Amino acid sequence: MNVATLPLLPHQRPNGEVKLPYANFHELLKAKTGDAPSREFLIFPESDRRYSYQQFYEISLGASEWLRSRTPDFGTICIIFRNTPEFLAIYFGAVARGISVVPINPDLAAAEIRFIIENSDCGAIFYDPDMEGKLASLKKEMTVAFHPFADVANLPPVDSEEAEANLPKVEPTTPAVIIYTSGTTGNPKGVVLSHMNFIIDGIAIADWFEFTPATRSLCILPLFHNNGIVISTTTTLCAGGSIVIVDPKASLRSFWALVDRYQATFTSVMPSILAALLTLSFEGKPGQLKGIICGGQLLPLSLAHNFEARFGVPIFEGFGSTEASSYSSFNRFPAERRKLGSVGIVMPICEMKVVDDNDDDVPDGTEGELCIRGPNVAIGYHKLPQLNAQKFRNGWYHSGDYGLRDKEGNYYFRSRKDDLIIKGGEKIYPAEIENVLSKHPNVTESAVIGVDDPILGQEICAFANLKDPDATTESELLKFCAQSLARFKQPKRIVVINRLGDMPELPKGPTKKILHRRLRDYYESRLANKEAVEGSKWVRGSHGG
Amino acid sequence: MTLQELYAEVSPIATQILQIPQFDSSVNMSSTPEWDSLNHVQLLSAIEKKFGIEISVDEAFKLTSADRLVRYLHGILRGKP
Repeated sequence: MNVATLPLLPHQRPNGEVKLPYANFHELLKAKTGDAPSREFLIFPESDRRYSYQQFYEISLGASEWLRSRTPDFGTICIIFRNTPEFLAIYFGAVARGISVVPINPDLAAAEIRFIIENSDCGAIFYDPDMEGKLASLKKEMTVAFHPFADVANLPPVDSEEAEANLPKVEPTTPAVIIYTSGTTGNPKGVVLSHMNFIIDGIAIADWFEFTPATRSLCILPLFHNNGIVISTTTTLCAGGSIVIVDPKASLRSFWALVDRYQATFTSVMPSILAALLTLSFEGKPGQLKGIICGGQLLPLSLAHNFEARFGVPIFEGFGSTEASSYSSFNRFPAERRKLGSVGIVMPICEMKVVDDNDDDVPDGTEGELCIRGPNVAIGYHKLPQLNAQKFRNGWYHSGDYGLRDKEGNYYFRSRKDDLIIKGGEKIYPAEIENVLSKHPNVTESAVIGVDDPILGQEICAFANLKDPDATTESELLKFCAQSLARFKQPKRIVVINRLGDMPELPKGPTKKILHRRLRDYYESRLANKEAVEGSKWVRGSHGG
Repeated sequence: MTLQELYAEVSPIATQILQIPQFDSSVNMSSTPEWDSLNHVQLLSAIEKKFGIEISVDEAFKLTSADRLVRYLHGILRGKP
């Protein structure tokens, strides 16, 4: 079908004719299964489980039937799994029923998980039994149903024809996934993405990199993020290829062994993973690897050069966001066509432009806010009408990222418009941490900034003003944060302002708004070198593991 | 070395690197945020040094729980002269 015939929002208007061959995820999976039922689709090396297209199609239908008695069609569910077959079984089974899936990062603190469950209005939670300990208090306190799901092998066998007949009609614009990302106010916001969003994006990326049924993707990013579920999974599925899926936490040391053993042709990473791989002494065997897709944070040119010089695999940097399903621009494929240092040219399914503060287009070479429009752009934020009006205005998604376009149409990412911290690809707004610190009885005010980190891109540094500077140590404040924040959001350092001597209070503007940029300048000039001299380790971290 | 003895040897290393209070058979990567990708690399390197072994990169990504790790070590050390 032609996407233009669908009831699209103004910011989803396609650039010319864009075809959507499958109305929803289940149609896509069914079609690819029909093309080659016995072809290998999913490989999970950690548990030695492998599934052909036919086998996974039947698992998906089995999950769909199993869900039928546990949650209503077209409702919303939360799922809490790592990179396992159980994640994908529930995911595909649910979206086949028109259910919107909210994937939750298992590493979030219980309070953060609670917020997402409540905010998403989900009807049920499906989770890995390994999460039992963390979820125990929520299960006691909340009325929503919690269903452990241990093994796809426990799904009852189904008659495929009967299960197919039981499926409701799911339209392309039906919400498929709600992905929660950090929010400026301190609470995460749910980005609502439709079947059309992901399938259009998946097909476009598969075409861009000339994916074929022989393509084998190595997925080392979490499936609960859009990168894992779109780039590695949906894109490869669109081409009828196969996917090797491993736990992001365990994959770093074995990265090249996995590439070699499973003859991976593509993988997708954050720059922090490239930086971490460069620190390891293992030599890489690129094997069949044709390229590494990279984005999510600024990729320093020196890092790209060093990585390619050592391992001989080209990196394809792109620009994207959860709100645009994944990527909207990419460097050209194959490698000789790339413009290194840029995030490439806009993909054919969408449009990008650069605007000034008045929303007027700026000439090539001038910095401004990067905006995206097309059928890959999300429906909007869940239950946030004011934010939707602000971010999806005038028929464009306003990304909050600053950059420019050159005369050849290549885009360049420069910085964030706001104070968003991107640590190992994880996006964290300072307000999330400031809200937690403000609850400490001895903290009068606080501010959080991102500071440079050689591996993760950025680390988190908090500044706190104390009522009684002698009553609380920095270590106690760090522990206080750990009670309410996932580990990747916890500050690496908390600076008590009262003890600094040269900064009596947090720097503020005329409206008494805290000036985060001034704090960053202060950190750079007064504290960053001290960190280096003291040899503080700013290496532990995120990138989904 | 028995599994229990191995736990006794591995536990001080793991608790120090992962910064967790205890390392027993209930500990796994899924439920231990401190057991992240970089700490996994450090943990395996420290164990290799302690026992004078080399953990295969083909196996390293499967060692995602205390139980798996200690059982793997048990197997390796049994075969070591």
